[in-house]
Order: sequence, then C-alpha cells, then structure tokens
Amino acid sequence: MFDYTFQWNQALARLPRMLDGAVVTLEVAVLSMLIGIVFAMILTLMRLSDSRPLKAIAATWIEIARNTPALLQIYMAHFGVASFGIHFSPFTSLLIGITFNNAGYLAENFRGALKAIPDTQARAGRSLGMSSLQSFRYIIVPQMLRISFLPMTNQMVWAVLMTSLGVTVGMNTDLYGVTQDLNALTFRTFELFAIAAVIFYIITKIITLGARLIASRLFRY
Amino acid sequence: MKKSALTAGVIAAACIAGAAHADKLDDIIGSGKLRCAVVLDFPPMGMRDDKNEPIGFDVDYCNDLAAALGVTAEIVETPFPERIPALMSGRVDVGVASTSDTLERAKTVGFTVPYFAFEMAVTANNETGIASYEDMKGHTVGAVAGTYEAIALEAQVNEWGDGTFRPYQTQADVFLALSQGQLDATVSTSTVAQATVNSGNFDGISVVGKAPFDTDYVALFTNRNEYGLLNYLDLFVNQQVRTGRYAELYEKWVGGDLPSLVVPDVYR
Repeated sequence: MFDYTFQWNQALARLPRMLDGAVVTLEVAVLSMLIGIVFAMILTLMRLSDSRPLKAIAATWIEIARNTPALLQIYMAHFGVASFGIHFSPFTSLLIGITFNNAGYLAENFRGALKAIPDTQARAGRSLGMSSLQSFRYIIVPQMLRISFLPMTNQMVWAVLMTSLGVTVGMNTDLYGVTQDLNALTFRTFELFAIAAVIFYIITKIITLGARLIASRLFRY
Repeated sequence: MKKSALTAGVIAAACIAGAAHADKLDDIIGSGKLRCAVVLDFPPMGMRDDKNEPIGFDVDYCNDLAAALGVTAEIVETPFPERIPALMSGRVDVGVASTSDTLERAKTVGFTVPYFAFEMAVTANNETGIASYEDMKGHTVGAVAGTYEAIALEAQVNEWGDGTFRPYQTQADVFLALSQGQLDATVSTSTVAQATVNSGNFDGISVVGKAPFDTDYVALFTNRNEYGLLNYLDLFVNQQVRTGRYAELYEKWVGGDLPSLVVPDVYR
C-alpha cells in the first residue's frame, strides 16, 4: 500500500536550489576527470617504466582505487587524512576521492588501449627518425586516447553519480546534498528525489550524447 | 425465508463495509504487530547494545505502545532521512524517531502531541577557545543532517553571514570531525552532547553552553489521514506522562530534570 499524495509544486519551488546543486555536481565531476586523466597518464607511464618502485606505486594506487568502494576512498580523504592533522573541506575531500578513483580506472583503460596498439607503430615512428619520446607522444598517445575515449565517457558518467557520496563527508552544496537538505526540511521525499533523479539522468545523457558527437567529429577516419 | 436472506445480505454488506472502513489502527490490531520506525544512531533515544539489540528511550516507548495495543512490537531501523519513505511505503506503522514537529513537515505527515523535548547544547573543540553560542560566529560548525538543530544552525550561520555550516550523516561522524578539528563546534541535543563527552571516545571536546534555540519538541508520527490512530497515539502520550512512565523512562535513559511537554499559554 502506498499512501501518499504527490504535491509537485512544493518540490518544484525548490528547483532553483537543486539546479545550483547540479552545477556544483558537474563542477566536481569535470575537475575530477581532468585531474584524473593527468594522473592516469602518469600512472600509465610509471607502469611502463623500468623502475621497480615506480611500478609498485602505480600498481598499488590502481589496485586500491579499483578494488575498494568509492565511498571508502572519499571517507578516507576526509576523516582518514584528518587523523594525521590534514584537513580538507568537504568539496576538496570529495574531489580528491573521486579523482583518486578516476585515475585508477582510467590508468587501466589506458593500459588496455596501449595493448591494442601494435608495437610496430612505435617502431615505424622510430624508423622515420623520431626519438622514442616523440613516437610515443605523436603516434601512441593519440591512438591510445582515441581507443579509450568511450570508456572515458563511462568514467565521466560514473564520476557524476559518485558525487552523491559527498554527503558522507559533509557536502551539502552538490545536487544530492541539496536534495537531502530539502528533504529534511520538507519531508517531500518522493517528489524531491524524483526530480533529482531526472536531473542526474539529464546530466549523464548530455555527457554521453556529447561524447558521441565529439567522437564522431574527432575520430572520423 | 425472505427475511433471513435479507438479514444475511445485510450482515454480508456490513462485513464488507466494515472491512473497507478498517483504518490503520484496525490493521495494527488485526495483524498483531506494531512496526515502529526508530533511529538507532541517536543515543540515548535509539542505539544498539553489546549484542546488537536495539535499546533506548524510543525503543522502550515503542514497546510500551505495542503493549498498550496488545500486539508485539517490531523495531525497524530507519536512519533520519528514511523515516518518511519507510512510512509511506508501508514498511512501518508509526514513527517513534525523535522527530521534530515542524509545520513544514506536518504538511506531509501527521504528528501527535509532543512525547519528548530536547534542549540544545553547544559542544566545542577545546583548541578553538569557543566558550558560548555566540563565539561560534565565523567558525566552521556542523550537526547531523536533517535534524532540528542542523536546520536551525544552518539558518543561524546564514544569518551571521560568516563561517561555514557542514552537515554530516551521523552523530558519530559529527563528533569525530569535531575531535579531529575539522569542525570547531557543533550543536546537538544536550543529552547526546553530555553522553558523548562522558563516553571518553572523543578527545579534546567539551560542552560549553546552551544553544538559544526554541525547545525542540518531538512527536510520534503516522500517515496524516489516520485520525483514529493519531487520536490513540495522543492519548497514549498523555497516559505515559499521567502514569509516571515518561518520568521513569527519562530517569532510565537520560536522567536529570524532566522536561515539560506542555507549551505554556496555548491549547493543542
């Protein structure tokens, strides 16, 4: 039995605050992706390097990022590091947690993409007189990014959805945090969360469609 | 012959009509079970003992209510944000969950008369030098998301226009953040504040004073349209006070001066 009368106007009156929250959510997701890609590149290079310690560090990062819950990673970025006297704001903690997670997953994507590029490509570059760094930079990386582009959009969508975990570290400005605040205030649970779900859906839909559009432009050949 | 057929028809109709009119109070009595939404992360109102069994003021209150109804009680753990979904989806019958009876919320659910009242206290990290409620201005303060004190404190921070408000999901997280210095101060119910500081689980924090919020009256709640049940619950709350059971439970779980549940100069 579901005994509830939906009063949409009560929730829709709060829509502007929720949309502000959606902007923050998008901000966190985009930043965490950009920084995450940089770190993922570094991790990938570390894995390819001949240095054992570097390999070990990269492997550990990736293992932890992929094999523990994102919730734990975000929680650690707030309460965990604080026990060493380092204090991050909820926004920073959330950003660090998601970025850590993104970097781990993306590094694996990049590794898979690298494996898909035949060795002969790099050698062809070398035979044209490029240095090994040049052939990596101009021949391998562009192909790697191309192959891992769609998995990257996947991670981007995941990053947007992960922002909802920010409430565990005191975040109240993102879409989920705002929704929960409003829920406590009004008890209009079903309307508010339904609206939040629709906003999340629209955001992720725009990301996937946008990525497909970009991919069709960039990777036409 | 005709007469008895008619009688049978009338009885049958009455039965059907009776069934159709069964309200929630009837449903509870009929099912022999009372399902209460209780927050078990809110000592001393709701918590778990060493054996992971739910205990606390609210748990006892639910058991009393079930006993009065002559049914067995079932404690359904519901974190603060899930109280309403639990009620609306029919997972629980009544909320015994320290729920503040705000007018905004009363548009959605039906509240009884108050069954408990909280005073609010300020707890601060010792290193901040905060010694009173006003000292919190300009600091990072926090409380448990979705509670009366969180709503009031956030409004206060916005009014001061200085400092930051952070809601955490559980009372334990708030005090952890406070002892780590991530929060400078928090406002919580004085019962929780005192119990936590005395527990010795968190270092470097102390209760520094009262928060000048209105008394936080909390009420039982159920579906807004269930007048039969709401009526019964009102009387139950009244009887708990009248029979001294309220004082007894207060002494058992909280101790100290018994808060009055009456708002002076007005009817309810």
